[in-house]
Amino acid sequence: MDKTISFKLNGEAVSITTDPLRRLLDVLREDFKCHGVKEGCSEGECGACSVLLNGEMVTPCLIPLGAADGQEVVTVEGITATEKGDIIVQAFADGGAVQCGFCIPGMVVAAYYLLSRNPNPTEDEIRLGISGNLCRCTGYDLIVESIKLAASRGGDIWKK
Amino acid sequence: MEKVMCYIPKTLNEALEIRNKEDVIVLAGGSDLMVSHKRTIGLTPKFDKSVMIIRNLPEIRKIYMDGSECHIGAACTSREIAESPLVPWHVRQAASRMGAIGLRNSATIGGNIANASPKGDTPGPLYLLDARVKIASTDGVREELVSDFIIKFRTIDLKPNEMITEVILPLSEDDFDYVFWHKVGTRKANAISKVTLSQAVKFASDGTVCDYRASATATGSKTNRSRDVENIIIGKRIAPELIEEVIAAFDGIISPRAMPEFRRESCRRSIRRFLTEAEKRRIEGCRDKVIDTYDGYYVPCAPVCRLS
Repeated sequence: MDKTISFKLNGEAVSITTDPLRRLLDVLREDFKCHGVKEGCSEGECGACSVLLNGEMVTPCLIPLGAADGQEVVTVEGITATEKGDIIVQAFADGGAVQCGFCIPGMVVAAYYLLSRNPNPTEDEIRLGISGNLCRCTGYDLIVESIKLAASRGGDIWKK
Repeated sequence: MEKVMCYIPKTLNEALEIRNKEDVIVLAGGSDLMVSHKRTIGLTPKFDKSVMIIRNLPEIRKIYMDGSECHIGAACTSREIAESPLVPWHVRQAASRMGAIGLRNSATIGGNIANASPKGDTPGPLYLLDARVKIASTDGVREELVSDFIIKFRTIDLKPNEMITEVILPLSEDDFDYVFWHKVGTRKANAISKVTLSQAVKFASDGTVCDYRASATATGSKTNRSRDVENIIIGKRIAPELIEEVIAAFDGIISPRAMPEFRRESCRRSIRRFLTEAEKRRIEGCRDKVIDTYDGYYVPCAPVCRLS
């Protein structure tokens, strides 16, 4: 049974009338064209679809649209439009973090979530921060280095 | 495909009214239900009954103390539980090693109990600490021990009009001298428990054991704990022969299906390690409460930290 679900997407109020049991992942990709939200495993294991729901990193493949009613969703598109997101993207490019690129939107969200909560993470903390994001190219070392780069380049920005 | 109803109540009372009228599937975090009902890529999960989403109900999303008892709302996520200094140590450990970050921001303690998987992360510590579930319906509220509430694999003692609203913990690590929690998984993140042991011990002033508890997950059709086994050591001083007696008795109450010998041996080693080290620390007067390692196999755990 369709319902009208309203929420904030990347800072903008949006509303959609559809089946509230559709996965938030599908609605973000198909209805709101947020194609940075990638579908990998479909069961919360790989982190490729990671988004922020009320500021907390979640995997929208596990979340029915109805759970976002009245809440705030930020996708990788929303993050990369900010100064912090730009720093991460630039650090990933300069650090050679991107191989096939499929995991990268999720990695950017995880890096943003980590650095927003912990501006100066140790290497272990970075590895823990991306422990829910799988890179099938196994390029973790360069991703970790790039997150370190983003932390140092951002400096005090991460404390805001 | 025929679409089922989806309710999104705004208050607990509204949710209970819906539950009273219709036998709906209660969906909190979705980390179990969305996977078990999923179809293929791009398709809406298939539910055979109406669904009620309770993820954002404020009444069941808070953690607070009532006297010495810690109350955890059923829709609190693993991260909220892992990061709350009010929550007992064993439960925080289990919550902090459940899945990975994204999942811990979704999965809830109510869902973990209701899923009644013998591999669930939180029931082990909840059994250990005599936790109770608070269950509400339009008829009123009742409480039940988690260990009674979970009847067996995927079966819980919940009527169609009832909902889990809280988990209540009457005990914490403060009630024990030494504590132990160890999850054996294939890796640090996103691991489903191969076997997890939770233990706690308290000594009387004469050095005898006045309380000992051990619970194991993934070792049978539900979490295993037995007061009879624990009573073997209570009132006595820990000695190697007594430890072996406890181990043998514990071995008798578990019934692991897959890889049974591995799981049995993990339990034996965990119990031996904990009781031996606890007795050693007691004699030395060591107040370091957390015993968290196997011999030669170190996995760091968060230190005990509680609000005074």
